[in-house]
Amino acid sequence: MARSVDPKAGKDETDPKLGDISARLHDLDSRLAAEKKQTAQAEKSSTQYQGATDYSKGYRLVSEFVAGILVGAAVGYGLDYVFHTLPLFLITFLLVGFGAGMVNMSRAANRTPPSAEELAKMPKPHDDEDEDK
Amino acid sequence: MVNDPIHQFRIHPILGPWNVFGQEIAFTNSNLFMGIIVLVVVGFLLLASNKKALVPGRLQSVGEMWYNLVHNMVENVLGHEGAPFFPLVFSLFSFVLVANMLGMFPYFFTVTSHVIVTASLAVFVVGLVVVVGIYKHGLGWFKLFVPSGVPLAILPLISLIEFISFLSRPISLGLRLFGNMLAGHIVLKVFAGFVVSLVALGIGGAIGSIAPLFMAVALTALEFLVAFLQAFVFAILTCVYLNDALHTHH
Repeated sequence: MARSVDPKAGKDETDPKLGDISARLHDLDSRLAAEKKQTAQAEKSSTQYQGATDYSKGYRLVSEFVAGILVGAAVGYGLDYVFHTLPLFLITFLLVGFGAGMVNMSRAANRTPPSAEELAKMPKPHDDEDEDK
Repeated sequence: MVNDPIHQFRIHPILGPWNVFGQEIAFTNSNLFMGIIVLVVVGFLLLASNKKALVPGRLQSVGEMWYNLVHNMVENVLGHEGAPFFPLVFSLFSFVLVANMLGMFPYFFTVTSHVIVTASLAVFVVGLVVVVGIYKHGLGWFKLFVPSGVPLAILPLISLIEFISFLSRPISLGLRLFGNMLAGHIVLKVFAGFVVSLVALGIGGAIGSIAPLFMAVALTALEFLVAFLQAFVFAILTCVYLNDALHTHH
């Protein structure tokens, strides 16, 4: 644009302007590059955690959920087998297992192990414990 | 009979069953392939690290990628404290990866398609988590089941849920790998079987068999992806669980 408007002005007049623009462009470029690098790094580390595709993520969530229910049912059935109270513990632990499966799933989706997260946020697990006991 | 999709998972003894303390023990095709897996892993890595060139060749760079993948994983999830567990995670990853990949060859046996194998690995991992957790934190490790900041009234229920959630770890870890490999191989076999039975129908069937054939080819590619991903997921979850044991609190 600038070239067609004042062709004879040459370098002298447009230089400060162009220099300004090119400096800004350069600045922008470098900032963009830095940002890109950062996001790429963040993305890289996050995808490394995530296990690369949505397929495996989905499968993981399902298996966490199902495992919770299965374990609940197994524990309940085992207790019933020992105490001869067949439907009681099976039903109770099936429900608890359902809850555990939900917990598993939300944890798998959040990705961060809850103990670490809670640790970072709450500095007083000790006090609580001591009071209760 | 010819395309029985379950047939590929049959275990049969190669070296006849011996009677060891009243227990029948045989060297089966599963054992044979486990041996082959170990040989492939060790052989490949020895070959890859044979030259130790500064500028890696093709083979060496695959070996380095393999190593770096697991190394980054351990570093990212476990931090420097996790360094002692790197050999374990690397071994697990390599074993599962090569088992899955060898399973993709026709007529090869897929070791990881048997739940007893994957469950053994998973139970070993979670057992190790318990041992490391108690070793590092003493009995305080059991606070894992007693989350902080929970009202006393619902604490028993939460603890129970946490406990079952912990118990479900080996199940989900083992079942996921087993389920993926089993389901993938069965689906592949079923689609391949469609091709055979359609062709047997005649000329119309032969034309129609293009669809399942295409599907089988596409599924093969997907299965290679799954084979890698499941090995990766197994290894990374091992790291995540070990992280729980190492950094339970403080």
